[in-house]
Amino acid sequence: MDVEAWKSQLRKGAAELAVLALLDDTARSGIGLLDALEARPEIGLSDGSIYPLLNRLEREGRIEGRWQTPRGGGRGQKIYALTGEGRSALKSMRAAWTGFRDELSEIVGGSR
Amino acid sequence: MSDDRKIDDYLKALARSLRVLPERDRDDIVAEIRAHLEHRAGEGKLADAMKALGGPETCARAFIEEIKIQSAFADGGPTKTFGALLALASARVTATAGLFFSGIFYILAAAFVFIGFYEMVAPETVGLWSDPAQGSFFFGTMDDPPSPTARELLGRWLVPVAAALAVLFFVFAQWLTKLFLRLMMRRGRPGAI
Repeated sequence: MDVEAWKSQLRKGAAELAVLALLDDTARSGIGLLDALEARPEIGLSDGSIYPLLNRLEREGRIEGRWQTPRGGGRGQKIYALTGEGRSALKSMRAAWTGFRDELSEIVGGSR
Repeated sequence: MSDDRKIDDYLKALARSLRVLPERDRDDIVAEIRAHLEHRAGEGKLADAMKALGGPETCARAFIEEIKIQSAFADGGPTKTFGALLALASARVTATAGLFFSGIFYILAAAFVFIGFYEMVAPETVGLWSDPAQGSFFFGTMDDPPSPTARELLGRWLVPVAAALAVLFFVFAQWLTKLFLRLMMRRGRPGAI
Protein backbone atom coordinates (compact mmCIF):
# COMPACT_ATOMS: atom_id res chain seq x y z
CA MET A 1 0.00 0.00 0.00
CA ASP A 2 1.15 3.53 -0.79
CA VAL A 3 1.17 4.99 2.75
CA GLU A 4 2.67 8.29 1.53
CA ALA A 5 -0.35 8.98 -0.70
CA TRP A 6 -2.71 8.23 2.19
CA LYS A 7 -0.71 10.48 4.53
CA SER A 8 -0.88 13.28 1.98
CA GLN A 9 -4.70 13.08 2.04
CA LEU A 10 -4.67 12.99 5.84
CA ARG A 11 -2.52 16.12 6.05
CA LYS A 12 -4.64 18.29 3.76
CA GLY A 13 -7.10 19.51 6.37
CA ALA A 14 -4.72 19.19 9.29
CA ALA A 15 -2.18 21.71 7.91
CA GLU A 16 -4.66 24.57 8.12
CA LEU A 17 -5.54 23.71 11.71
CA ALA A 18 -1.85 23.44 12.65
CA VAL A 19 -1.09 26.91 11.22
CA LEU A 20 -4.08 28.57 12.89
CA ALA A 21 -3.22 26.90 16.23
CA LEU A 22 0.42 28.01 16.02
CA LEU A 23 -0.70 31.59 15.37
CA ASP A 24 -3.07 31.46 18.35
CA ASP A 25 -0.41 32.08 20.97
CA THR A 26 1.86 34.39 18.99
CA ALA A 27 2.16 36.14 15.62
CA ARG A 28 4.74 34.51 13.37
CA SER A 29 6.32 34.81 9.93
CA GLY A 30 6.38 32.01 7.37
CA ILE A 31 9.90 31.19 8.50
CA GLY A 32 8.77 31.30 12.16
CA LEU A 33 6.00 28.80 11.39
CA LEU A 34 8.39 26.54 9.47
CA ASP A 35 10.86 26.65 12.38
CA ALA A 36 8.08 25.71 14.81
CA LEU A 37 7.09 22.83 12.54
CA GLU A 38 10.64 21.67 11.83
CA ALA A 39 10.57 19.14 14.65
CA ARG A 40 7.16 17.87 13.47
CA PRO A 41 7.70 16.52 9.97
CA GLU A 42 4.52 14.40 10.13
CA ILE A 43 2.39 17.56 9.79
CA GLY A 44 3.90 17.76 6.29
CA LEU A 45 4.13 21.55 5.88
CA SER A 46 7.17 22.51 3.85
CA ASP A 47 8.71 25.71 2.44
CA GLY A 48 6.76 25.13 -0.75
CA SER A 49 3.35 24.52 0.76
CA ILE A 50 3.20 27.01 3.64
CA TYR A 51 3.18 30.27 1.66
CA PRO A 52 0.27 29.37 -0.64
CA LEU A 53 -1.64 28.24 2.46
CA LEU A 54 -0.88 31.51 4.31
CA ASN A 55 -1.87 33.44 1.19
CA ARG A 56 -5.25 31.67 1.07
CA LEU A 57 -5.91 32.05 4.80
CA GLU A 58 -5.17 35.77 4.51
CA ARG A 59 -7.54 36.15 1.56
CA GLU A 60 -10.24 34.32 3.49
CA GLY A 61 -9.76 36.80 6.32
CA ARG A 62 -8.67 34.25 8.92
CA ILE A 63 -5.20 35.70 9.31
CA GLU A 64 -3.70 39.11 8.72
CA GLY A 65 -0.17 39.71 7.45
CA ARG A 66 1.89 42.84 8.17
CA TRP A 67 5.33 43.64 6.84
CA GLN A 68 7.75 44.38 9.66
CA THR A 69 11.38 45.43 9.59
CA PRO A 70 13.44 44.44 12.63
CA ARG A 71 14.62 47.28 14.85
CA GLY A 72 18.05 48.33 13.73
CA GLY A 73 17.36 47.35 10.12
CA GLY A 74 17.77 44.05 8.34
CA ARG A 75 15.42 41.97 6.27
CA GLY A 76 11.71 42.73 6.41
CA GLN A 77 9.34 39.86 7.14
CA LYS A 78 5.63 39.44 6.76
CA ILE A 79 4.26 38.60 10.19
CA TYR A 80 0.92 36.84 10.43
CA ALA A 81 -1.61 37.03 13.25
CA LEU A 82 -5.09 35.57 13.70
CA THR A 83 -8.06 37.83 12.97
CA GLY A 84 -11.30 37.64 14.98
CA GLU A 85 -12.72 35.43 12.26
CA GLY A 86 -9.64 33.21 12.39
CA ARG A 87 -9.93 32.87 16.15
CA SER A 88 -13.55 31.82 15.88
CA ALA A 89 -12.71 29.38 13.03
CA LEU A 90 -9.93 27.91 15.15
CA LYS A 91 -12.33 27.39 18.06
CA SER A 92 -14.78 25.45 15.86
CA MET A 93 -11.98 23.49 14.19
CA ARG A 94 -10.44 22.58 17.55
CA ALA A 95 -13.76 21.22 18.81
CA ALA A 96 -14.28 19.26 15.58
CA TRP A 97 -10.72 17.93 15.66
CA THR A 98 -10.96 16.83 19.30
CA GLY A 99 -14.16 14.89 18.64
CA PHE A 100 -12.70 13.33 15.50
CA ARG A 101 -9.42 12.38 17.22
CA ASP A 102 -11.16 10.84 20.25
CA GLU A 103 -13.56 8.75 18.20
CA LEU A 104 -10.89 7.59 15.78
CA SER A 105 -8.57 6.71 18.68
CA GLU A 106 -11.33 4.56 20.19
CA ILE A 107 -11.64 2.69 16.90
CA VAL A 108 -7.97 2.47 15.93
CA GLY A 109 -6.52 2.13 19.42
CA GLY A 110 -5.14 5.57 20.22
CA SER A 111 -2.02 5.51 22.38
CA ARG A 112 -1.05 1.87 21.95
CA MET B 1 26.90 32.55 -9.22
CA SER B 2 26.35 34.60 -6.05
CA ASP B 3 23.36 33.95 -3.77
CA ASP B 4 21.87 37.36 -4.61
CA ARG B 5 22.03 36.60 -8.31
CA LYS B 6 20.45 33.15 -7.81
CA ILE B 7 17.62 34.72 -5.78
CA ASP B 8 17.04 37.43 -8.39
CA ASP B 9 16.91 34.88 -11.21
CA TYR B 10 14.49 32.69 -9.25
CA LEU B 11 12.22 35.64 -8.44
CA LYS B 12 12.21 36.92 -12.03
CA ALA B 13 11.09 33.50 -13.24
CA LEU B 14 8.53 33.33 -10.40
CA ALA B 15 7.09 36.75 -11.33
CA ARG B 16 6.82 35.62 -14.97
CA SER B 17 4.95 32.48 -13.93
CA LEU B 18 2.60 34.57 -11.75
CA ARG B 19 1.73 37.03 -14.54
CA VAL B 20 -1.90 35.80 -14.66
CA LEU B 21 -2.42 37.34 -11.21
CA PRO B 22 -3.09 41.03 -10.53
CA GLU B 23 0.12 43.02 -10.06
CA ARG B 24 -0.49 43.68 -6.37
CA ASP B 25 -0.92 39.98 -5.56
CA ARG B 26 2.11 39.09 -7.64
CA ASP B 27 4.34 41.68 -5.98
CA ASP B 28 3.24 40.56 -2.53
CA ILE B 29 4.04 36.90 -3.25
CA VAL B 30 7.41 37.73 -4.82
CA ALA B 31 8.31 39.95 -1.84
CA GLU B 32 7.48 37.18 0.62
CA ILE B 33 9.42 34.52 -1.29
CA ARG B 34 12.33 36.99 -1.52
CA ALA B 35 12.27 37.45 2.27
CA HIS B 36 12.18 33.66 2.69
CA LEU B 37 15.08 32.99 0.31
CA GLU B 38 17.21 35.82 1.73
CA HIS B 39 16.61 34.52 5.24
CA ARG B 40 17.62 30.99 4.23
CA ALA B 41 20.64 32.32 2.33
CA GLY B 42 21.68 34.05 5.58
CA GLU B 43 21.58 30.62 7.25
CA GLY B 44 23.65 29.17 4.39
CA LYS B 45 20.69 27.05 3.24
CA LEU B 46 19.74 28.70 -0.06
CA ALA B 47 20.11 25.57 -2.19
CA ASP B 48 17.93 23.53 0.21
CA ALA B 49 15.33 26.31 0.34
CA MET B 50 15.10 26.52 -3.45
CA LYS B 51 14.78 22.76 -3.69
CA ALA B 52 12.01 22.77 -1.07
CA LEU B 53 10.09 25.50 -2.92
CA GLY B 54 10.33 23.60 -6.20
CA GLY B 55 11.06 25.35 -9.49
CA PRO B 56 9.57 28.85 -9.98
CA GLU B 57 6.75 27.41 -12.10
CA THR B 58 5.83 24.79 -9.51
CA CYS B 59 5.93 27.41 -6.77
CA ALA B 60 3.73 29.79 -8.82
CA ARG B 61 1.22 27.07 -9.66
CA ALA B 62 0.59 26.35 -5.97
CA PHE B 63 -0.35 30.03 -5.40
CA ILE B 64 -2.41 30.32 -8.57
CA GLU B 65 -4.50 27.26 -7.75
CA GLU B 66 -5.27 28.49 -4.24
CA ILE B 67 -6.09 32.03 -5.41
CA LYS B 68 -8.20 31.07 -8.41
CA ILE B 69 -10.35 28.66 -6.45
CA GLN B 70 -10.77 31.07 -3.56
CA SER B 71 -11.69 34.06 -5.75
CA ALA B 72 -14.02 31.92 -7.87
CA PHE B 73 -16.00 31.00 -4.78
CA ALA B 74 -15.95 34.56 -3.48
CA ASP B 75 -17.08 36.26 -6.72
CA GLY B 76 -18.98 33.50 -8.46
CA GLY B 77 -18.83 35.22 -11.90
CA PRO B 78 -18.65 33.00 -15.00
CA THR B 79 -15.17 34.21 -16.05
CA LYS B 80 -13.64 33.56 -12.67
CA THR B 81 -15.31 30.20 -12.09
CA PHE B 82 -14.43 29.02 -15.60
CA GLY B 83 -10.89 30.42 -15.23
CA ALA B 84 -10.44 28.53 -11.96
CA LEU B 85 -11.60 25.32 -13.60
CA LEU B 86 -9.24 25.94 -16.51
CA ALA B 87 -6.30 26.52 -14.15
CA LEU B 88 -7.10 23.26 -12.40
CA ALA B 89 -7.48 21.43 -15.71
CA SER B 90 -4.11 22.65 -16.98
CA ALA B 91 -2.55 21.45 -13.74
CA ARG B 92 -4.19 18.10 -14.32
CA VAL B 93 -2.62 17.35 -17.68
CA THR B 94 -1.14 14.25 -16.10
CA ALA B 95 -4.61 13.00 -15.20
CA THR B 96 -5.91 13.63 -18.72
CA ALA B 97 -2.94 11.85 -20.29
CA GLY B 98 -3.39 8.97 -17.85
CA LEU B 99 -7.08 8.69 -18.69
CA PHE B 100 -6.33 8.74 -22.42
CA PHE B 101 -3.53 6.14 -22.46
CA SER B 102 -5.03 3.70 -19.97
CA GLY B 103 -8.37 4.12 -21.80
CA ILE B 104 -6.76 2.97 -25.05
CA PHE B 105 -5.46 -0.22 -23.42
CA TYR B 106 -8.77 -0.96 -21.69
CA ILE B 107 -10.48 -0.64 -25.08
CA LEU B 108 -7.88 -2.97 -26.65
CA ALA B 109 -8.51 -5.50 -23.86
CA ALA B 110 -12.27 -5.29 -24.47
CA ALA B 111 -11.73 -5.67 -28.23
CA PHE B 112 -9.82 -8.93 -27.75
CA VAL B 113 -12.52 -10.27 -25.40
CA PHE B 114 -15.02 -9.52 -28.18
CA ILE B 115 -12.82 -11.19 -30.82
CA GLY B 116 -12.46 -14.29 -28.62
CA PHE B 117 -16.22 -14.62 -28.15
CA TYR B 118 -16.93 -13.91 -31.79
CA GLU B 119 -14.55 -16.71 -32.78
CA MET B 120 -16.79 -19.14 -30.89
CA VAL B 121 -19.96 -17.81 -32.59
CA ALA B 122 -18.75 -17.29 -36.16
CA PRO B 123 -15.26 -18.79 -36.49
CA GLU B 124 -15.01 -18.29 -40.25
CA THR B 125 -15.23 -14.50 -39.96
CA VAL B 126 -12.57 -14.09 -37.22
CA GLY B 127 -8.84 -14.55 -37.55
CA LEU B 128 -5.31 -13.35 -37.92
CA TRP B 129 -4.83 -13.06 -41.64
CA SER B 130 -1.50 -12.74 -43.35
CA ASP B 131 -1.22 -11.69 -46.96
CA PRO B 132 2.29 -12.49 -48.25
CA ALA B 133 1.50 -10.79 -51.59
CA GLN B 134 0.87 -7.45 -49.88
CA GLY B 135 3.04 -8.08 -46.80
CA SER B 136 0.12 -7.17 -44.52
CA PHE B 137 -1.51 -8.58 -41.37
CA PHE B 138 -5.06 -8.19 -40.10
CA PHE B 139 -6.38 -9.37 -36.73
CA GLY B 140 -10.11 -9.05 -36.14
CA THR B 141 -13.48 -9.86 -37.61
CA MET B 142 -14.67 -9.40 -41.20
CA ASP B 143 -17.29 -10.97 -43.42
CA ASP B 144 -14.84 -12.09 -46.15
CA PRO B 145 -11.11 -12.79 -46.03
CA PRO B 146 -9.10 -9.63 -46.85
CA SER B 147 -7.93 -10.95 -50.23
CA PRO B 148 -7.75 -14.25 -52.16
CA THR B 149 -4.06 -14.64 -51.27
CA ALA B 150 -4.61 -14.07 -47.52
CA ARG B 151 -4.09 -16.99 -45.11
CA GLU B 152 -5.50 -17.33 -41.60
CA LEU B 153 -2.65 -18.15 -39.21
CA LEU B 154 -4.10 -18.93 -35.78
CA GLY B 155 -6.94 -21.38 -36.42
CA ARG B 156 -7.97 -22.97 -33.11
CA TRP B 157 -5.35 -20.97 -31.26
CA LEU B 158 -7.30 -17.78 -31.81
CA VAL B 159 -9.38 -18.01 -28.61
CA PRO B 160 -6.43 -18.57 -26.23
CA VAL B 161 -4.33 -15.94 -28.04
CA ALA B 162 -7.18 -13.39 -27.90
CA ALA B 163 -7.77 -14.22 -24.21
CA ALA B 164 -4.07 -13.85 -23.41
CA LEU B 165 -3.90 -10.50 -25.24
CA ALA B 166 -7.08 -9.31 -23.47
CA VAL B 167 -5.56 -10.17 -20.08
CA LEU B 168 -2.22 -8.61 -21.04
CA PHE B 169 -3.79 -5.31 -22.17
CA PHE B 170 -6.11 -5.25 -19.15
CA VAL B 171 -3.21 -5.75 -16.71
CA PHE B 172 -1.12 -3.15 -18.56
CA ALA B 173 -4.00 -0.64 -18.52
CA GLN B 174 -4.40 -1.17 -14.76
CA TRP B 175 -0.68 -0.72 -14.20
CA LEU B 176 -0.74 2.44 -16.32
CA THR B 177 -3.71 3.85 -14.36
CA LYS B 178 -1.92 3.28 -11.06
CA LEU B 179 1.31 4.74 -12.45
CA PHE B 180 -0.47 7.97 -13.47
CA LEU B 181 -2.30 8.14 -10.13
CA ARG B 182 1.05 7.89 -8.34
CA LEU B 183 2.46 10.61 -10.60
CA MET B 184 -0.56 12.79 -9.79
CA MET B 185 0.03 12.39 -6.07
CA ARG B 186 3.73 13.13 -6.28
CA ARG B 187 3.64 16.04 -8.69
CA GLY B 188 2.19 19.47 -8.01
CA ARG B 189 3.04 21.21 -4.83
CA PRO B 190 6.17 20.34 -2.98
CA GLY B 191 5.42 19.02 0.49
CA ALA B 192 2.49 17.03 -0.86
CA ILE B 193 -0.15 19.31 0.68
